[in-house]
Amino acid sequence: MIDISTIERELRQLWKEGAGSTAGGQAMTRALTLNLVARAQDGPSAEQMGAVIQQLTASHPSRAVLARMRPTLDEPRLEAFVQANCLLVTQGAPQICGEQITIDAQGSAVTQVASLVLALLVPDLPVALWLPGPAPLEDPLLLRLRGVITRLIVDTRDAHDAVRALAHLAAFQATEARATRQVLGISDLAWAILTPWRELIAQFFDTRPLLPHLQRIDQVLITYQPGERREGLALSLLLAGWLTASLGWVMLDQALSVEEGTVRLHLRRPAVGRGPNAIRLITIDLIPTAPSRDEPPAITSLCLRAIDGVSADFCVERGEEANYATTKAHVAGHPPISRLVRCETPTLADLLAAELRLLNRDQTFATALQSAGIFAEWLPA
Amino acid sequence: MRNENSVLSHNPLRHGLRIGRTPEPCTMVIFGASGDLTSRKLVPALYNLARERRLPGGFSVIGFARRPWDDAQFRDLLRSGVNANSRNGSVDPALWSSFAEGISYLQGSFDEAQAYAKLSERLAELDARRGTGGNRVFYLATPPESYSEIIHQLGAHGLSRSPNGGWTRIIVEKPFGRDLMSARELNNQLLAVFDEPQVYRIDHYLGKETVQNILIFRFANGIFEPLWDRRAVDHVQITVSESIGVEDRGGYYDRSGALRDMIQNHLMQLLSLVAMEPPVAYDADAVRDEKVKVLRAIRPIYPNEVDHYVIRGQYGSGSVSGRPITGYRDERGVASGSQTETYVALKLFIESWRWAGVPFYLRSGKALPRRVSEIAVQFKTVPTMLFADMPLNAIEPNVLAIKIQPDEGITLKVGSKVPGQQQIRPVTMDFRYGTSFGVASPEAYERLLLDCMLGDGTLFTRRDEVEASWSIITPIHQGWTSGSALLSPNYEAGSWGPAAADEFMLRDGRTWRRL
Repeated sequence: MIDISTIERELRQLWKEGAGSTAGGQAMTRALTLNLVARAQDGPSAEQMGAVIQQLTASHPSRAVLARMRPTLDEPRLEAFVQANCLLVTQGAPQICGEQITIDAQGSAVTQVASLVLALLVPDLPVALWLPGPAPLEDPLLLRLRGVITRLIVDTRDAHDAVRALAHLAAFQATEARATRQVLGISDLAWAILTPWRELIAQFFDTRPLLPHLQRIDQVLITYQPGERREGLALSLLLAGWLTASLGWVMLDQALSVEEGTVRLHLRRPAVGRGPNAIRLITIDLIPTAPSRDEPPAITSLCLRAIDGVSADFCVERGEEANYATTKAHVAGHPPISRLVRCETPTLADLLAAELRLLNRDQTFATALQSAGIFAEWLPA
Repeated sequence: MRNENSVLSHNPLRHGLRIGRTPEPCTMVIFGASGDLTSRKLVPALYNLARERRLPGGFSVIGFARRPWDDAQFRDLLRSGVNANSRNGSVDPALWSSFAEGISYLQGSFDEAQAYAKLSERLAELDARRGTGGNRVFYLATPPESYSEIIHQLGAHGLSRSPNGGWTRIIVEKPFGRDLMSARELNNQLLAVFDEPQVYRIDHYLGKETVQNILIFRFANGIFEPLWDRRAVDHVQITVSESIGVEDRGGYYDRSGALRDMIQNHLMQLLSLVAMEPPVAYDADAVRDEKVKVLRAIRPIYPNEVDHYVIRGQYGSGSVSGRPITGYRDERGVASGSQTETYVALKLFIESWRWAGVPFYLRSGKALPRRVSEIAVQFKTVPTMLFADMPLNAIEPNVLAIKIQPDEGITLKVGSKVPGQQQIRPVTMDFRYGTSFGVASPEAYERLLLDCMLGDGTLFTRRDEVEASWSIITPIHQGWTSGSALLSPNYEAGSWGPAAADEFMLRDGRTWRRL
């Protein structure tokens, strides 16, 4: 069995050794900005997550508690060991170090992990719980730690059906919002991967002359690489949910049609300049591209189009080379303006880092998820 | 609820995005584009902004200089400049070619009316072809002698006002004048053509993250502000040291000197940030109003008092970090009997309710042992000795050091018990950007160019600030010129400045921090 004071003593020893030794002539400094609790389901994923936690040290040095849980093994066992995660960011600069406690639990001992985690948290720092895998919301660790965690990080793309997972997450969020306790920040890494798309579309309308077109959008076209578990469709639903919520579009009841794989959502918006009650209909088309084994499920293009009056087209397309995208704005009567932008596929550590940067609830994600959850409910399984 | 038929005043898709808004498409005209600053700083900064997706589609650059180049030659030169100087390493060829589509070159003399007519045509053509909407930034990256002519020509060709409801801004590099009179004159010339909100006087020190953090540190933390005044603070030391000599800038430096080159701008900026009152808002005018109040409250040093408050030095030969350095007077471009100071230390008093009686010691010099910029606030010591049989002066005062470079961060020195002994030793608590945040900070020019394009002047210097700062500096120069004492090399390259600077502190019962 594990003794907390032993773990703490080992941690102290670790830092003491670190302070004395100068690995490669570099001083080692302790800096902690949060508690990161992560659950792995097997050895290989624990190893992969450990590597990600180490990379995260650059932006979020943390006390990481990585729990490897194997409840199906017979013999109950609970072990823990400590390590420092150090990173030399630039030559000559001091190393940045965080600390990691790995808990190995199997059999019936897995039920004790939560109590161990609670004793190991550094006081007065935020607590993020990272639950990769297909069913995070049913995870016993979430239930036990709910009272102390400030952020839950999941990835709906890990689910057996990403579209259903989106609907579940939206329902979970709604339940959480009704609860009286501290508001839980929810992060979906599927949302984090959409940031460059949101950013590039938003940039068109930072320009004063183009901003009014945002109120005139009639059509949205989103193409995506589908994936085997509807991950691409889930991503495009999140984008559609984001546009709907941000632009104040109104969903028409159950207004969804599916034709040859293309999902069409019907919404409405006020018809600007046509009187107080005038409305216009909007369509959002989610179009799968030909499935490819080499391509991971992802968004491949996003276009916003105004066709009533002055036609205007705002498109972001992923380039042939994966790390680039092209943005194009074309308003009738003006020359089209396009540019190539760097759009590197983020690593898992990049996505986590971006989400951990958030201190509070991500209101934009919350409303986007709410709308996407409704669309997902409408979709046939 | 948003009124359903209201016109949008802000971009709703921007909510929740972690990076700030992108500026409107514009054209940046760089005067003196063949110079070092353009390829070493400006274009690498612009390219990095493009790489980070911070520049809008349509963004264009026109290089304006005398050399007979064409667009292709100019682009090649900039590309090698980016390769050599970008913090992100070599250019990404695909990205560069998209970025370079917007770069063109215009050959002309700064006093040639026809060249400005051509510039006007080129700008109109870019507005039509690349959607830059009449938005312009003019960047004066020329020697200061040309500023006046360029400003005049821009005005004469109607280029200080934008067509199509766009905006026009002008960025002026340092040095902004060489004394109070010339700074006023330059301001008058600028403001005869442009309005003050169009003018962005750049001091790249303000673009540094740690410099901006001074305000965050002071005004977003509750524990420091109650200690930030004459009751708790003994004195403040501001040091900006350089380990290099004048290198290939001898000709320029010999006409300038440390007081003009560093104190008038960078150190005065640091001083105002550390001493200012909380602004009523974090916006350009509110912040600059408070900064200028500090400068105006500085007790002037009259020409006849200069020897009492100011120490100057000039380096002789020596070595820095094992590298031999030629004496200042033997550098290329420097007069053999040069009277230009390469080191200056001064004591200033801010006559305000908050700071009355607290000396601010400023020092800056070349060929010093290390390149360091820091602000150290030294607090008063405790009034009596409670512990052990030790004299009171065995307790070192608390020092809060804000380090700007090279190891950006904040250090607090506190006294602590030595385990097992009745002894008190100072220990430092270190917060280093590099160890808490492993993410690289943007270069100062990236931040400043972006701010200018976004119309945010907070990190630029306003007219009254520049003039208030010169009004402190100019009488010191007058004192030196009228005094009989001649300056000769009085410190060895690689030392911490002239012995007189140490005596200057010792007179006050203080010492310079060893950095």
